[in-house]
Amino acid sequence: MLTYLARRLFVMIPTLFMISVLVFVIIQLPPGDFLSTYLNELQAQGEAVDPAKIEFLKHQYGLDQPLYVQYFEWAWGLLHGDLGFSFEYNLPVSEVVGDRLWLSLVLNFSTILFIYIVSFPIGIYSATRQYSWGDYGFTLLGFLGLAMPNFLFALILLYYANVVFGTSIGGLMDPEFINQGWSFDKITSIIEHLWAPVLVIGTSGTAAMIRRLRANLLDELGKQYVVTAHAKGLAPLKVLFKYPLRMALNPFISDIGNILPQVVSGSVLVSVVMSLPTTGPMLLSALQSQDMYLAGSFLMFLALLTVVGMFVSDVLLAWLDPRIRLQGGISQ
Amino acid sequence: MTDILRIKDLKVEFVLPHMRVKAVENVTFRIGAQETVALVGESGSGKSTISQAIMGLLPKVAQITNGSIIFADPDKPGTRVDLAMLDRAGAQMRAIRGGRISMIFQEPMSSLSPLHTIGDQICEAVRLHRNVDHREARELAKEMLTLVGFGDPKHALKTYPFELSGGLRQRAMIAMAMVCRPALLVADEPTTALDVTIQAQILRLIKEVQSELEMSVLLITHDLGVVANMADRMVVIYDGRVVESGKTEDVFINPGHGYTRSLLAAVPHFDMGPDERLKPLREIKPKTGSLLALDGDGEDTREQNDVPPSLALHPTMASEPVLSVRHLSKSFTTRKGHWLKAKKQLIPAVADVSLTVNRGECVGLVGESGCGKTTLSKLIMRAMAPDDGSILFRGESGQMTELVGLDEDKLNPYRKRIQFVFQDPFGSLNPRMTVQDIVAEPMIIHGVGDSAYRKKMVLELMEVVGLDPRYLSRYPHSFSGGQRQRIGIARALSLKPDLLIFDEPTSALDVSVQAQILNLLKDLQRDLNLTYLFISHNLAVVDYIADRIAVMCAGRIVETAPREKLFRNPMHPYTQALLNAVPFADLDHPLDFNKIVDGKASDPARWPAPFTINRDSDPKMMQLADDHFVRAERADFTEIAI
Repeated sequence: MLTYLARRLFVMIPTLFMISVLVFVIIQLPPGDFLSTYLNELQAQGEAVDPAKIEFLKHQYGLDQPLYVQYFEWAWGLLHGDLGFSFEYNLPVSEVVGDRLWLSLVLNFSTILFIYIVSFPIGIYSATRQYSWGDYGFTLLGFLGLAMPNFLFALILLYYANVVFGTSIGGLMDPEFINQGWSFDKITSIIEHLWAPVLVIGTSGTAAMIRRLRANLLDELGKQYVVTAHAKGLAPLKVLFKYPLRMALNPFISDIGNILPQVVSGSVLVSVVMSLPTTGPMLLSALQSQDMYLAGSFLMFLALLTVVGMFVSDVLLAWLDPRIRLQGGISQ
Repeated sequence: MTDILRIKDLKVEFVLPHMRVKAVENVTFRIGAQETVALVGESGSGKSTISQAIMGLLPKVAQITNGSIIFADPDKPGTRVDLAMLDRAGAQMRAIRGGRISMIFQEPMSSLSPLHTIGDQICEAVRLHRNVDHREARELAKEMLTLVGFGDPKHALKTYPFELSGGLRQRAMIAMAMVCRPALLVADEPTTALDVTIQAQILRLIKEVQSELEMSVLLITHDLGVVANMADRMVVIYDGRVVESGKTEDVFINPGHGYTRSLLAAVPHFDMGPDERLKPLREIKPKTGSLLALDGDGEDTREQNDVPPSLALHPTMASEPVLSVRHLSKSFTTRKGHWLKAKKQLIPAVADVSLTVNRGECVGLVGESGCGKTTLSKLIMRAMAPDDGSILFRGESGQMTELVGLDEDKLNPYRKRIQFVFQDPFGSLNPRMTVQDIVAEPMIIHGVGDSAYRKKMVLELMEVVGLDPRYLSRYPHSFSGGQRQRIGIARALSLKPDLLIFDEPTSALDVSVQAQILNLLKDLQRDLNLTYLFISHNLAVVDYIADRIAVMCAGRIVETAPREKLFRNPMHPYTQALLNAVPFADLDHPLDFNKIVDGKASDPARWPAPFTINRDSDPKMMQLADDHFVRAERADFTEIAI
């Protein structure tokens, strides 16, 4: 088990390295760089640009260096916690990002929690009461949630909250707390605002998770070992929780790795619509203006989330399922 | 009254929204104290429904609409409980289920939870029905694991089911069922999924445990061999009704009902004369048409040049080999240990196998699961490349050609000449193709004939395997297992192959259907002068159909002989162990449980001296008589021959 953990941790290093190379290459793929985009913008506005100043800026930002040098400087900085410099904001990336990273984490973590808490009991109910009215009802709701685009749901929610209740549910906190230091009131305000984006972002994930858990559990319920458990004289509810549910958990857990980045990237549009101070909208604008270090930092953050999510789900799976734990090294 | 269980007028119906289907009707029988009663019937006869009704494990749609199941617990004398009236999930039923009546199932692979240790699952059963703490439960579980033959019960408690072999899993399952010392054990096909030698061990174990715990057994099976060796009384079920019941001797010696008689006549046994035929419930009359026999004119004349036509009818005398396998070997690698310095371990699946199949002959290949017989068939089909050795095959040119090392293009003409019939009639036919398409597909792949020829050929093949040509536009799901297997045979015949390989073609079928298929294969071989390689674990089946038999164990062929010789005079200890383990459907040949040794028989290192295979000795095949070979050391050769 320990060697398994060590191995998984070790594999993460080359994975992250490969991802950083890819991220860097992808950011560089569009023609030009931040300065040329900036120049174009200025020229389009009819302003004259001093070539000497451009050269100076290029040198200043290291954009005149060959690509691999730029990459290694960036990667070396990342290793030391230095995320680089944002051209657009004229600030270090870490300062630009600031609270947004934490707010994103809070939002996404709450969303995942919401998905699990809601889908778990409904999935179990739907599987054990297959083809009942309740099952059909949840299935209908689930498909609605799956079919409706998130941002549309966000708009509808915004509209009705305003028209019916007369409140604004946009943002993650009341306006007076924006750019203020952390305080108890600010946290309360965030919690008060959190439910709407969580609901919006989490709906489709919940619907998908319910379908998955229902299908998995239905598969397991018909298995022979469930009959064996009943034949022992175990009470039906105990049978359900000890045997088939435990087996149906596997896909549930292996989803953690997928769901993390999905939720993070899925929330971009919603964040724009609901004007949430999360990383999503900023990533979008950074990519548009080729603000490479800012975009790179965001993308690396996403990659890290994915890799860590995968690691967590692998470890959980190995802990839950002896077949993975004990047969991991054997392959044919 | 000493009866543990009395079932009276039991009727179970499946209540579906639009109809009611009777599964079981008017079933009446009883099980006495410490008695073994066998419930015999073919698949779909309702025998499992009866066991589920006793256990209260019927599916939700099934209802007991009439009758009673009276259970008299010997531990509480004088009490009678009607199991049919109890709430299936209620406390009273649950106390009886698993506590007083236990059940073991057919599939040892899937009937234990893979996520929980054996100890966890057994202790759970103990603690449900006995007022003991965790430590006492473990002691009881250990005691029971020792009883069912685990050498190290303390370690066994901590193992997971997937770490055990099929036989050990079934032992663990039995331990779990026994641990509460039930009054009645319901065993639903407990050995059907196991190899013969393991089957014999498990049957012996059930007998031992039964006398040790003084319980009754309800044995549900379709295998009359198991019934003859285990049951005091038997109940024959057909179509949800009891057609006959009585003492096992009486029923076997003097079967009263026609169904019982035909069931007994359908089981192959070892005392059959060379021309004696099995009698299936419904015989197929194959009709060979013109295409299969005549169209291959070129081949026929060639054959007739080589072998006089009169000899072709006597397969053993036609000496022209179609297939000759020499010293074939194949190993698989497994990786073990750390991922950087993974140790590659070679596991030999087929080792030094030599085998010849002559034209018009049926060679049987016998062995237990995992012995390499399927790998061997895949090598012959060149679905896999061997590591070493040669495969000579007589192609259209009449010359023996080496198949090993040929590339895919050069191999293609030979693929047509060797065809395969698979074990699983359900998985081997594409459910989205009609029978017409399935049977014609090989001809299309190999570009044989035009569409008119193919159509005619398919029609003829349907007649040959005894299926109504009107079924051609149907899909496989509308056929029974036996009919599907016949479609598979028709497909294999469509290219008029020189060699047909059958991989356990009847192991998924009921005995009467098995007899039907075996007879069909015999008739086809006689009429079309076909050549078979017949792979099976069932010795009686191989004995019935094969002319020569090769016994395979641990990747090696250990003995080959004509069938009469092999069964009359088996030389190799493994062959002897196999023969000792077969339960005969015949009261005069009971299993000798004392001769059954646990696990030793199939380990080459533990065979006695001249046969031992280990690091120091690697015996080769020795000739005993002109066509009787056995794998033994040369030094001891004379000794054995005497």
